[in-house]
Amino acid sequence: MVTDFLSYSLIPLFSALAIPFISRKSQRITEILANVTLLSGLINVGYIIGYHIVKMDFLSFTYDAFALLMIFTIYLVGLSIVFFSTYYDIEKDVNLTSYYSLILISVSAMTSLVIARDFFTLYIFMEAISVCSFALITSSSNKNSIEAAIKYFFLTFPASALIIFGISILMLNYGGFDFDTIKLTNINFLTVISLSFIIIGFLIKGGIAPFHFWTPDVYEGSYSPISAFLAGIVTKIGGIYAIIKISQILLNTDAGFRISKLLLFTGMLSVLLGAFGAIVQKDFKRMLAYSSISQMGYIILASATFSPLGIFAAVFHLVNHATFKTVLFLNSACVEKETGTTNMDELKGLEHRMPYTSWTSIISLFSTAGLPPLSGFWSKLLIIIALWQAGNKYYAVIALVSSIITFAYFMIMQKKIFFGKLPEKLNNIKEARTPLLIPVVVISVLIIVIGVFFNRVYPLLEKI
Amino acid sequence: MVLYLLIYFIIILSATISVIAKKLINSAIMLAVLSIGVSILLFIYGAVWAAVFELSVCAGLITVLFISAVSLVKNDEESLSENRVKYIVFPFILIAIIIISSIFVPEYFLELQKFSTYNTEKEKPIGEFIWIYRGVDIIGQLTLLASSVFIIKHIFFKNKNIKENGGDI
Repeated sequence: MVTDFLSYSLIPLFSALAIPFISRKSQRITEILANVTLLSGLINVGYIIGYHIVKMDFLSFTYDAFALLMIFTIYLVGLSIVFFSTYYDIEKDVNLTSYYSLILISVSAMTSLVIARDFFTLYIFMEAISVCSFALITSSSNKNSIEAAIKYFFLTFPASALIIFGISILMLNYGGFDFDTIKLTNINFLTVISLSFIIIGFLIKGGIAPFHFWTPDVYEGSYSPISAFLAGIVTKIGGIYAIIKISQILLNTDAGFRISKLLLFTGMLSVLLGAFGAIVQKDFKRMLAYSSISQMGYIILASATFSPLGIFAAVFHLVNHATFKTVLFLNSACVEKETGTTNMDELKGLEHRMPYTSWTSIISLFSTAGLPPLSGFWSKLLIIIALWQAGNKYYAVIALVSSIITFAYFMIMQKKIFFGKLPEKLNNIKEARTPLLIPVVVISVLIIVIGVFFNRVYPLLEKI
Repeated sequence: MVLYLLIYFIIILSATISVIAKKLINSAIMLAVLSIGVSILLFIYGAVWAAVFELSVCAGLITVLFISAVSLVKNDEESLSENRVKYIVFPFILIAIIIISSIFVPEYFLELQKFSTYNTEKEKPIGEFIWIYRGVDIIGQLTLLASSVFIIKHIFFKNKNIKENGGDI
């Protein structure tokens, strides 16, 4: 574990533990503490990254760029969700003390996971994330959320069993689970077997096809801000991050070559199933869930190249995905709050009443589809180049075509929800409250800034 | 050999008590004692990793979880009117197991000792092993423990509200 970053993990944990004691007098203090904890962390990590990007000075950059970028993303999404929840008028049957504490513990566990240096530590924090997510999914009092929580439990916890089984084979083989030990030792058949178990476990956790069945139900059934939290960061750090890490460990190795085919196939399957699945959906959140499956496929395709370019393309797409998916899910939460539904057939012409929500959606969907000059364009371009360079030309073409399908289904969504003439029954709809718009507007600006100043971000990615 | 048999006896005794105990809290404590016994046994055989995880996760974490959960349902427990007379048979089974095991188990232990592969690590004190080698896990366990407490609070809070609303979700 990198001790440089330990404070990013411990401070949210201690804040979470302090919340029950200080929230007795006023619930407002809980919200302030959660926001301040994450804001201070974000400013801190943002300053470190921002300083080097603005000065274009990467010679003095001695940190683990991968971990730092992940911590920045975790804090950004975490803060957006906490800030959004503060003004969302959370249902009365949700225990606010445990709600904010669980989000803070999730942030702490995710940070610990990205700074872990061995598989067992990674597993422990992944479990902590899973159990927190399970409780957070049940936040809403409707039947769907309880069903979603049960599905999440039954479909993702067997994945933990696979992962621990893989880890135990690694232990048997090496006598330890350090990333460096595995990297430096000769990789044999048992290593490939154990890493395959671990990868399958993480693919289930990440909701990658053909293990994606739980994802749409869980994202649809969860409480709206929690859907954004799960889709934006939790399933990515709890599932996909480990696969990128394994790809980084097995860079240019024989084992990497052997696992590569399996990963490329699941990645491609995920991209296609997600894209075609999204076209036929009628529910806003469900469509975003399928889109999420598709975008995760891109990350898997990039990490399956086991090349340096592929890895930093995967990391960059993970960061981008966290930003645009958080915006889209938070927008869906705003639409649900104002109209009471997420069924796209019942919605139309909302742009006349909700212009900020509509425009931030457009920015995010353009970025997801990979339109220049937004951040998503660069990550998709890097993924396609990495695939092409690694000799996987067919996969590169599929990735390119799927990008067009992504654009198509998002335009269908935009047309159904925001464009067209406003029906009379929706005449009383108002734009969401200003505080609810702050996180989505800030992240949308970030999407544009990263895209426009990509030449400054690129040297940071090269450090991964 | 006496030590092995003593630990073995403690394990079986605590396992039996945890099944027949009427109070859930006693049952949870006995389960912790069982885990401690198992972890000592594992430590003696040189399976240090397994011993550390058994001790910290099973004896520590799970016990705390059980006790916190039991304390939440304490009121319902008093109205429990289960007939537990049939469990009186367990002590007799226990005595039979002890007699049989005193004949067969010693040889089994000696046989097991051949499989011990981590004898080099056996020399290190367990405290050093936990703090120096697996220090990070302490943070992990703290995280898991904290999350478990909040999860119980989160879910039971909802349950209380559902009950108050007449059972409708």
